[in-house]
Amino acid sequence: MATRRGFLAGMLAAGLAPQATWASLGSPAFLSAARSPGGSYLLAGLSAGGEILFRLPLPARGHAAAAHPLRAEAVAFARRPGRFADVIDCTSGSRIARLEPVAGNHFYGHGVFSPDGRHLFTTENDFDSARGVIGVWDTAAGYRRIGSFASGGIGPHDLRLRRDAPGLVVANGGIETHPDSGRAKLNLADMRPNLSYLTFDGVLKDQLELDPDLQQNSIRHLSVAADGLVGFAMQWQGDAGADVPIAGLHRPGGAARLLGREDPRTRNLNGYGGSIAFTRDAAQIAVTSPRGGVVQLFGTGTGEMVQEYRLRDVCGLAHLDKGFIAATGEGHLLALPGSADTLLAAHPLAWDNHLVALA
Amino acid sequence: MLRSIVLALPLALLPVTAQADASGGIVDGRILPSMSELAATGAALEAAAQANCNAEDRALLAAYHTAFDAWVRVSHLRFGPTETDNRAFALAFWPDTRGKTPKALAGMIAKEDPAVMDPEDFAEVSIAAQGYYAMEFLLYDGGFAAQGSPDYRCALIRAQAQGIAANTAAIRTDWTDAFAEEMRSPGNRYRDAAEVKQELFKALLTGLEVTADMRLGRPLGTFERPRPNRAEARRSGRSQIHVILALETLEDLALALAEGDAEVSDALQAQFTTTLERVRGLKDPVFAGVADPASRFRIEALQQDVRDLKLLAEAQLGPALGVEAGFNSLDGD
Repeated sequence: MATRRGFLAGMLAAGLAPQATWASLGSPAFLSAARSPGGSYLLAGLSAGGEILFRLPLPARGHAAAAHPLRAEAVAFARRPGRFADVIDCTSGSRIARLEPVAGNHFYGHGVFSPDGRHLFTTENDFDSARGVIGVWDTAAGYRRIGSFASGGIGPHDLRLRRDAPGLVVANGGIETHPDSGRAKLNLADMRPNLSYLTFDGVLKDQLELDPDLQQNSIRHLSVAADGLVGFAMQWQGDAGADVPIAGLHRPGGAARLLGREDPRTRNLNGYGGSIAFTRDAAQIAVTSPRGGVVQLFGTGTGEMVQEYRLRDVCGLAHLDKGFIAATGEGHLLALPGSADTLLAAHPLAWDNHLVALA
Repeated sequence: MLRSIVLALPLALLPVTAQADASGGIVDGRILPSMSELAATGAALEAAAQANCNAEDRALLAAYHTAFDAWVRVSHLRFGPTETDNRAFALAFWPDTRGKTPKALAGMIAKEDPAVMDPEDFAEVSIAAQGYYAMEFLLYDGGFAAQGSPDYRCALIRAQAQGIAANTAAIRTDWTDAFAEEMRSPGNRYRDAAEVKQELFKALLTGLEVTADMRLGRPLGTFERPRPNRAEARRSGRSQIHVILALETLEDLALALAEGDAEVSDALQAQFTTTLERVRGLKDPVFAGVADPASRFRIEALQQDVRDLKLLAEAQLGPALGVEAGFNSLDGD
């Protein structure tokens, strides 16, 4: 269709339009939401060295963000139960669009763009029917909602692009909530979390469920290695003190490998994985726990813990060229592991749950 | 690499509202003596096991209880020396939600694992077979009294006692040789006095949480499904005494942290007194009463008292120390 909008959309998809790219902002390596000392909320773009390249105000506390693969556009999600997500032009700070889920849905706080940047996928709760949904938005048409499909479970939280095949991998946390009861968990006794692999059209290609004794281990956050290996972090909803794994690895068609299964130090995570990330070479995977105040690094080959760091209020995590960068609620950004456990930067901000790596 | 690293952060960001001397007083006046007691009772337990390894020997059992008491009194101090080489886990593997301790012990007994003959080898066996909680099975569990040969059980008890002595000695040595000074004179491991207080404050909260959620919460289970068999150290009849010992030591720490602030101090003192009175008044050493609605409510009320203590500490003591609740730890997703 040779409409003007269609023409522009094609230009955008091809990266030809005169829109600003991430390079014009100094090529930020990460995005993170934060709270300022005055109590206002913002989205920041960070360099690999931990410098703040830009900061943009947010109307409320953010959770995760999604970065457009080409254009300097970010989607900042409100915390669940989120009623909106703002698409922000990161060069001007102006709002390009406000996404509102269809009536009866709310956002969970995570989203991801298709590799060509044409579509945005969002995790949502169709709360009256307790059904997890992936919302699909057309970025070339002003972020118009163009459809949705089932997420493969209840309570989809994080979602990522597969890297072994086109499609999405979704962490269905398994926990039913309803906005009428806030964040109260309605189905802990019979929750069934899973990891679902979906095509971009919503066809379920593979699904992982853990053993019944781990049924109350909510699969929440994801990282995907270049070869398609998926790392997942969980949050235990069962009895306090249970000796449960918090991080695992999976490939479609295979069985899950749970990390540090016989290492008592996994208890230091307090049953709570906050963020998870692979190193660039996927030789290691790390998980953070703000509740335990620790970051634990595991070898992906052995599945064993190689190192543990104590770090108060840590949560955000992403990879650097070598190793990891971790962010804390006290404003610190650290490189791990480093001979001096390098503090990259300290900002007078409380970094929120996630560091989102730009491709 | 078995190491746990406390990051040394060179930049000072937090306001230094805490007083340096109070932490030093806690270290020298409370922590070091309790660590000495831990190591001394560990050594005495080893000596008793060497003298007589019969599970019915009164001197051995007395030494076991004394040593276990000393551990419970420091069990909230989970940082630094206790975390090196997984010492705390090797001393105290609990809760054991997968039944690893009886499994590991039965396995060792069945094959008469020779690791018991050599302390270095024994330190490498499953952590679940080591420490106070594993030893309790051999001393108090009827099921183990008849397993394997008396000679092997004896060697296993001696190996466990030796391991407890070695780990507690290592913890004490690390504290006296280096860690105490790190806390007295921050600047290296801890940036400043405020960080030292934060560590101690976190230990207080951890101790209260473990007491409410594990020591009381695990046997309480739910009203429909109480779990009396999950009570901590129930075989040796120690469940209730653990709660008393933990609360006594936490009260001591809380009041020391609150020193100089009469209002916070009085509030904490009042709530600790109420809570301790309630637990001492229970005539229920292993919390068997969780299964009976007529007595269960008393244990539930005790758990609520401990939770209230934690809330009180967070609401009043934390701000007085300049410790803010974590942005992420408080409310993640």
